[in-house]
Parts: sequence; C-alpha cells; structure tokens
Amino acid sequence: MEITVREAGTVMVLDLKGRLDLASGSRLKEEVKKIFENDNTQIHLNMSEVEFINSSGLGSLVSIMKEVRLLKGRFTLSNLANYVEEIFEITQLSHIFEVFPTEQEAISSFQAISSN
Amino acid sequence: MQEVVERIGELLCELQSPDFYQREEAVKELGTYQADEAVAGLIMALEDGDLGIRELAAEYLVKMSGETTTQLLVRFLANEDIGTRNLASEILVKIGRDAVPAILENITCDDHDVRKFLVDVVGMIKDERAIEPLCQRLWDENPNVVCSAAEALGEIGSVEAVPHLIAVCDKVEDAKLQTIEALGKIGDPKSLDKLYELLGSDDPMILFVSLEAIGQIGCIDSVTELKKFLDIEDTSLAESAMGAIITIYNKNEGRIDPDLPLEKFTGFLFDGIKSHNDEITDFTLDRLSHWFGSDVIQGLLDVIDHVSEDRLRRIQEILGEVGHAAGKMIVKKMGDATKPTRLKLLDLLKYIVDDDIAEDISAYANDPDPEIRQRVAHLLGISGDLKSVPRLKEMTKDSNGHVRAAAYGALGWLGGESDLKDIFPGLDDNYSDVREAAVGALLVIGGESVINKFTDDLNNQTTERQRLAVTALGWMGEDATVKPLVAAINHPDAGVRKSAISALSRMSHISDVEPILLALTDENSAVRKAAVTAVITIKGADSVQEIRPLLDDPDVWVRYHTITTIGELGRLEFTDFLMPYLEDESDIIKIAVVKTMAMLGERRAVPALNRLTSERNKDLVDAAEMALTSIERGR
Repeated sequence: MEITVREAGTVMVLDLKGRLDLASGSRLKEEVKKIFENDNTQIHLNMSEVEFINSSGLGSLVSIMKEVRLLKGRFTLSNLANYVEEIFEITQLSHIFEVFPTEQEAISSFQAISSN
Repeated sequence: MQEVVERIGELLCELQSPDFYQREEAVKELGTYQADEAVAGLIMALEDGDLGIRELAAEYLVKMSGETTTQLLVRFLANEDIGTRNLASEILVKIGRDAVPAILENITCDDHDVRKFLVDVVGMIKDERAIEPLCQRLWDENPNVVCSAAEALGEIGSVEAVPHLIAVCDKVEDAKLQTIEALGKIGDPKSLDKLYELLGSDDPMILFVSLEAIGQIGCIDSVTELKKFLDIEDTSLAESAMGAIITIYNKNEGRIDPDLPLEKFTGFLFDGIKSHNDEITDFTLDRLSHWFGSDVIQGLLDVIDHVSEDRLRRIQEILGEVGHAAGKMIVKKMGDATKPTRLKLLDLLKYIVDDDIAEDISAYANDPDPEIRQRVAHLLGISGDLKSVPRLKEMTKDSNGHVRAAAYGALGWLGGESDLKDIFPGLDDNYSDVREAAVGALLVIGGESVINKFTDDLNNQTTERQRLAVTALGWMGEDATVKPLVAAINHPDAGVRKSAISALSRMSHISDVEPILLALTDENSAVRKAAVTAVITIKGADSVQEIRPLLDDPDVWVRYHTITTIGELGRLEFTDFLMPYLEDESDIIKIAVVKTMAMLGERRAVPALNRLTSERNKDLVDAAEMALTSIERGR
C-alpha cells in the first residue's frame, strides 16, 4: 500500500492507495504515530484508492481511533469504496468513525469546529 | 357582433338571478368575452352576495386585465363595502404592472381613501414608475396617505426615494415610523446619519424602528453606534440593538467586532433559537467560542428540540469541543427529558463519551425503551471503556433484537480474543440482523479463533450458517482464510461455492487457481459465472483461453457474462473469437457481442453490425446502430 502524508490546514491528510491489511495497517499506524509525535491529533484518511480491506486492516483503523480519542483528537475518513463501505456497515464501524463522502467535506468540518 | 352584445345583455340580467348556479354560469361565460360590457358585468359580480361568485369574477378579471378592467376596478375602490374594496385591490395587485397606468392616473383623486388604496396597491406591485408619484404623495394632505406612500416606497426599495423620506421624517410627525421603516427596507447607507440622529430620540418606538432600520442597512461601521445600546437598562431596547447587530453580522458573513457582551443576552439568543429565528440561531452557534460557560451549554441543551438536524449536528460538534463538562450536563439533563429529547441528548454524547460518562449512561442500559438501550450500547462501545464490556455482554441477551445487534457491534470495537465466547452465540440468534452484527464484531476482533470458528461453521447443520460462515471468511480476507475458502469451492451447497469463489477473487493474491478453474465446469450456472469473474480478476488476460469454452455454455447468462468479462479487458486481440457470435441464435448473445464491439471500436465488425440493423428485435437493432455510431466516431 502507498501512504502519502500531506497537510490541509491544521489537518494531516493521509492518502491511501492499495489494500489495507495486516502489513499495510501496521505501516499506517506507524505513520499516524509519527504525526502524533509532532503534536498533531487531527487526522483524515482519504480512502478513495483503497479497494480492499480485511480484518487486520479494520483492526488497525479501530486501534488508531482509540489512540486519537485518548489524545482528544479527531479522526475522519472519506471516499470509501463500495466494498469498504459495506464492511463498515456490517461491522457498525460507521457508528464510531466520522465518515464523509468527500475529503473536502471532512476538512470543512474540521475548519467549522476550529472556527467555533 | 350584435348577437354578442345581446348575449352579454342576457348574462348581465342572469347575474341578478336568485339561482346561484345561473349566476355562476353567467360569470363563467362573461369571462370568455373581451367586450367592455362583459368586464363591467364581472365587476358587478364582485358585489355578489356569494363569496364563490365574487372570487370567480375576480379570477376572470385578473386574466382579462386591460385598460377598461383596471379603470373600472380603480373606480370600485370607492365602494362603500370594505370587503369589495379589498377584493378590487387584490385583483389590481394580481394584474400587476398592467394596472399601474390606471392607478397612477387616479392617484391624486379627491377621495383620500381611494388615494390610500391606490398607494398601497402600487407599493405591493413594486413598480418603479410609481416612485415619483409616490414621493409626491409623501406630502399629501392626508396623513394616512403619507404613511402608505412611505411604506410603498420602502417596498419598492429605490434609493431615489431616500432624500424625500428623510425630508418627510423631519416634517411629518405622523409618518415618522413609516419613513424610518422605509429607509431600513431601502437599505441605502446614506440614510445612516439621519438614523443615528434618531437614536437620540426620547420616544422608544422611534428608537426601536431606528435600531431595526440600521440593522437592515447592514453597515459594519454601525455596530459601534449599536453597541452603545447594549449596556442600557431597558432590556427590550438593548435586545433590539443586539438584534440589529446580528442582522449586520449575517449580512456581512460574520465579519464584525467579536467583542460583544453576549452573556447578557443568553435568554434573548436562546429564545430566538427556540422560536426558529435563523439569523439568531446562526449567530449564536457561530459565536459560541467567545462565550463558553455552563449557562451557554445549558442554553444549547434547552434548544435541541427547536433546531434542524444540521444545526443539531453543529451543536454536537460545539459540545464535542467543550468535552467532558458538557457530557456531564447532558447526562444530568437526561433525567427528566422526554424520550425524543433523551435520544437527541444521547446522540450529542457521541464525540464526548469517555469512561466516566460511559459509567453514567450505563444506568440507561435497562431503560424500558429499546431505542434508548440501543443508543446506550453504541455509546458504551464508542467510549472505549473496557469496564463497559460486562454490561455489553449482558445487553447481548436483551429481549430486543436491535439492542442485541448494537451490543454485539460495540463488543467488536471494545472486545478481544477473551470475549469471543460471548459473541459466538450471536451467530445462532433468531434475527438475521443480530447474526450479522455478531459476524461484524468477529470481523473486527479477527484472529485465528474466529477463522477456525467460521471454518467449522462451513459444516454446520444449517445451510444458512454455512453461507454466513463463507461470507464471513471472505470479509475477513486474511491469508489464513484462503485455505478454508478454497476448500469451500467443493462445498455441497452452490451458494457457499459461489461465495467462496467471489471472496477469493476479491482477495486475488492466491497462488493456486486450479480449484477455481475446476469451478468453471460447476453444475451451477451462478458458480460458473463467479468462476469466470474470479479467473479473470486473478489471472487477467492470460486466462481468456481458459474461460473461452464458457462462450458455448448451456446457460445463456453464463455466455453473456463471459462475453462482457472478456470485453471489459479492452483487448482487440480477443475480438476474433467473439465476432462469430454476432451470428448467434440468441439475440441476448448478439447484443452482448455488439456492445463489446462498440466498446472496443472493432471496425471489422461493421459489416455484421450493418446486417443486424435489419433484424426484427428492436433492442438488437438499437444496440447495432449505437455500436456503428460509436465505431464511426472513433475512426
């Protein structure tokens, strides 16, 4: 999986490309950990190019979510492919993750809150 | 022509008939003539004793409009009956711009009541031709006409009227309020000096309307003047000033001085939200960062039943920023809230719930209402509080399926290997939603024990559980699930075989495709179709020769699927063995090949496609014509 990290205002955006499984999930957690070390806890995953996710991939997302909550940060996702969205529904993860149709909507929601 | 005149004469007589239906028919027929006599008849009908007849006549008069109509209607404004006058006014307003010349011609008539009516009507029509005559009416001898003229100029909203209104404001005491209101509606900043001057008035009514008018004009600089009123003792005036600042804030997209004593206006602002005032609601939600305090949070919680879903979401985000303290207040408010409010309060906790709040809301895990229990289960999971796990396990035994499903979902987020034994029973639940929720929880927890459980379930006594198991193994998508999924290709149930193949094709990194190749000859057509997709997904174009025999499959839909799957590879080299199927006996197959040829832009198919345009089947002909167009365009 390719993971690209970029900034969108105060939010760190990670673009994921490929399959989210045990190996790529571990790398993703590492990347997020580096972001935490830079005192940033506002994270967005753009998953437009993630066409497959397995159990381990889900576990890595849940694990990141738990970390972000402990740090009182915010973690959003966007652009879920149909299959990934289906898995989120089955696992009811759509209840705990903030999932947006597009990255722009997700980033706007961060900005709306920070302006408040 | 003579006949028409005679007929109208008869109809005019019928308007006097005691029979309602005869009068109604007469009005309807009069409405079909363009003659002035017919218009006069319809005007007469405006005085009919029956409301239905009057309204019918009005409807026809609006449609007919014309100079005669408007002149007669204007004259009718002098009618003694107020209802009839009002009806004539309404018709003139509906006629609109066409009525303006007749109105202006009569706007200086002797009857001051008629002048007032005409001024009111022209104000409602909002025609700029009336500005000059209305400015003259500002100096009418009758104060009611002056007031109406000021109001009408406000409605039209032209800056031309501003100097006249300012002059009248100074000189005609009776029309002061109306002129100030008109200046506000027109919104010309040139009025501001006059309005600031009026803020020195002793008359509270003048002050109220001036403050409002300044707000409507919307200049950021006015905030300085308005802020002087925020600290005065008269609460109503201070709130009017705040209302004007809010109007300016909204007109300028929030670009105003943030230093406002909002704490003094908590009641005013939250009452505004409760009464669905959009301006106040947006302002209040936007400005909360300057203004956190328990009274504000309490205020927000008090208005959640009065705001739209979008705004409720904003409140949720704002409270999320406040965090734990807001959560505690939400929990406290739940105690005496009604069910709908309690559900909203629970939703507000989504971004706040932590260990402490999870403990507080556990009390509602036994609430008599299942929707409340369901929300509580979700929140316990979201909280990340491991102490909630035993409570969630209890909730998996709830009498309500939705609650059980929510509890399993939450256990998936919170639980681990040690909790599996409490989740597995969910796979045997009577409700499919609960079984699926249990599968979802097991997916998130994952691991060897879960894979073993689903592998065992492939041999469960019930087909439904076997199918659930193979689907779950597919969703898990781990390397360790490949082996049981490959084994499932030989399962006795076709549904299991198909799901296993589909899951393997999604995983696509399997080394041995031999079992899937064997499935190309499966007895079940759905399995064969799944195998075609899987082989192409895993091996790509290299496997076309292996699926080629299925072009002659006994099942037409397997053939169709094979053709389109090959077509989607986008390789012209495969058209050689697809083209012969343009002559197939089945139109479905021909259509599939036609579409593939179009997609690939295969020019060699043109002669065959031309022949197909003469076929009887319209769908086939349409597809062939579209393919020819598409190929031609791609040349």
